[in-house]
Amino acid sequence: MRVASELRFRWMKDVALPVLLKARERRPLARPRGESPLGPPLESTRRLRGLMTRHYALARYAEGARPVAWVTSGAPVELLRAFGCYTVYPENHAALCGARRMGPEICARAETAGFSRDLCSYARIDLGHALSGLTPAGRLPRPDVLFCTNNICQTILYWFKELSHSEGIPLVMLDTPFIASGEGTPEVFDYVAGQIKDAVPALEHITGREFREERFREVLSSSMRASALWGEVLATMRHRPAPMTVFDAFVHLAPVVSLRGLPSCERYYEGLLAELRQRVSQGVAAVPGERHRLMWDNIAIWFALAPLSRLFAEHHCAGVAGTYPNAWAETTHYLDLADPFGSLAKTYTLIFLNRGLNYRLGLMETMGRDYQVDGLVLHSARSCKPYSVGQYDLRQALAQRLGIKSVVLEGDMTDFRTWSEEQAKTRLTAFFESLDG
Amino acid sequence: MGRTTYLLGQKAAGRKVAAVWPARYPAEILWAHGVCPAEVWDPPAGQALAGAHLQSYVCGVVRQGLEFLLSGGLAVADFLLFPHTCDSIQNLGSLVRDLVHEPRPCLFFYLPRSREGQRATEFLEAQLRRLSAELTPLAGPLRDGALEEALALGGGRASALRRMYDLRARGDLDATNEEFYGAVRTCEYLWPEDAVLHLEAFMAAHAGRRGRGVPLVLSGVTPAPSDLAARLDALGAALVEDDLLACGRRFLKTSSAESGAPWTAMAERLLALPPCCTTGDGVEDRTAFLAERVERSGARGVVFLALKFCEPELFQIPSLARAMRARGIPVLIVETELGSTTPAGMMTRVEAFLESLP
Ligand code: SF4
Ligand code: SF4
Repeated sequence: MRVASELRFRWMKDVALPVLLKARERRPLARPRGESPLGPPLESTRRLRGLMTRHYALARYAEGARPVAWVTSGAPVELLRAFGCYTVYPENHAALCGARRMGPEICARAETAGFSRDLCSYARIDLGHALSGLTPAGRLPRPDVLFCTNNICQTILYWFKELSHSEGIPLVMLDTPFIASGEGTPEVFDYVAGQIKDAVPALEHITGREFREERFREVLSSSMRASALWGEVLATMRHRPAPMTVFDAFVHLAPVVSLRGLPSCERYYEGLLAELRQRVSQGVAAVPGERHRLMWDNIAIWFALAPLSRLFAEHHCAGVAGTYPNAWAETTHYLDLADPFGSLAKTYTLIFLNRGLNYRLGLMETMGRDYQVDGLVLHSARSCKPYSVGQYDLRQALAQRLGIKSVVLEGDMTDFRTWSEEQAKTRLTAFFESLDG
Repeated sequence: MGRTTYLLGQKAAGRKVAAVWPARYPAEILWAHGVCPAEVWDPPAGQALAGAHLQSYVCGVVRQGLEFLLSGGLAVADFLLFPHTCDSIQNLGSLVRDLVHEPRPCLFFYLPRSREGQRATEFLEAQLRRLSAELTPLAGPLRDGALEEALALGGGRASALRRMYDLRARGDLDATNEEFYGAVRTCEYLWPEDAVLHLEAFMAAHAGRRGRGVPLVLSGVTPAPSDLAARLDALGAALVEDDLLACGRRFLKTSSAESGAPWTAMAERLLALPPCCTTGDGVEDRTAFLAERVERSGARGVVFLALKFCEPELFQIPSLARAMRARGIPVLIVETELGSTTPAGMMTRVEAFLESLP
């Protein structure tokens, strides 16, 4: 059975999918109908589409051929890669459902089973998917293990515990204590590093594979390079005019979230970076006539990405920085091959969502200066308490420190039942006009 | 005597007062430093000030706590302590300290999200020592033997509470729901010796068989809204057990095996509290705990108070309710909010539930 699964997986990976995807890659990029206020679309989007389609398509064949792990976005996936796990990110999948406007439909399945509509919509989509199988990705493979870290929120812990309980799947959980102030203490990092070490025998048991430290280091190096490349990709937006926008960043962050530690991820960002550098050298603007440069706070509103991107551009506003895309480039510098477990503990404990608001304020202030922003758009995401609670005061503090104007959009990442497109448009238009003075 | 008057008395007696947000925290460390904790669960507060800082989708505990703080309700406190209970309290603490610029010291305390293994105990022990080091400049150093005394105080309070819960579960406490929770919740601010005296006096004054009433277990965060216990009395529901985060799920530790070394014993005590979603315990443990409460008290059903926007609770309630039903235990889930008046619709549902019970 295992041999058959392995053969099927390899055939799909090495023969069938490459042929299919080559054909798809040749298809022209969708251009907005009518006259677009946006610059030319990124050519890399074609490759991105292929990469992510391949990832989700291959996932269906991974069951039985590879240990399958469902992972949270802030988890040290490097450890799983060392075991050859095929990884699926429920948050990334939820974002995909959001972008395809399937959020409310799948959430409703979870709500029918008793989960409150007030819960994080990523979690509701995942639980709704578990109950119904609904997905735009064809089918997700059943996981052999759930791997979860509470550095992004506690919600993820309740969500993965529930999934583990209802589906009967083992859960490996890393507890990353909140760093209210300062840079963390040795007791915290020892505690986290100890848990990562403890996860090794647990994963050996679940996957039936032996841990090889050499492979682990290779994955770590690859992960470091991918995150560093992603950081460079984002940094191109410091240029005036910016060669891409934060809306592009939301789309192009998928590989660093989902494929970090794999060579395909590095290759993808090398290509994207080369394209962006070429754009910079040729003065190609993502938003022609760029007049204002904005920072976006919080996760994307996936179902409204295209209209928002267009609205920004119509007013010659370029989103050039985002706290969310930045998260995957923020702490990789802590990674150290000489101390893989200790440095992983630091890297994953010190992400901004796991730190006090003072840290976040400092980070946003620095980003505001580095990217020369003159306005701030805060997405107050009903789903996400750790990201959203405190935004009203962050806004005031940044207005004082950077002298910038801001606007708050009350919304959600995927559940558009609470979203009013008209209201958002009115608020944003008034905000853009205020920037013109 | 009102809460603030009592706390002012504590200060006059030379103690410090700490405003403490929910839910689980090492009260013993505070006592050992001569600090009287005053917990901030559901203080009476309006809506005027917190709205400028918090979105409408934040739970009432966080919202009312901030409102109470901003309106001067916590002026008696010398400093503030935020246990890391959930995402909302995590950000509230940081918001108050970093962005609202609360002038008094704000302390944080992290409880590990796993009880298993030596690692959690060691980490927790280190957290306790760190908290103690932070308390030293605020409230003075630990006296010799202070930790042991505090542990004994905590043990005394826990055993008085356990006795009171046991009496109620057996039907040997002649107290209404309102009286019972009024007494239990004094532990949120009384110095432990005073709390024990109060609880003992309460048990003595209410000795006797409970009157008739439909026995129920209540699960949720607090018995909210604040008139709920009395409204249940009026409906003829007798709360015989609870799994409330503010009450039974926090006060009654489940294991009595503790090490001799005080720091370790303190850590073990926290880790031995009943299973709770806020500390990452799975639904299986909570189901077992709840089912045992139902069985020992002869309750005829469980009422889950689903507090609006409380993620830790809202995630577990569907599975918990399913598990109870699978055991043949009738269940009612009602959405609730803090505040002073139980909505008529909620009471109608409770009434219908009581009537439906076998
Ligand atoms: S959206 Fe927010 S609450 Fe939901 S899983 Fe992500 S970080 Fe957690
Ligand atoms: S979300 Fe729940 S646990 Fe957190 S403060 Fe609110 S009521 Fe308490």
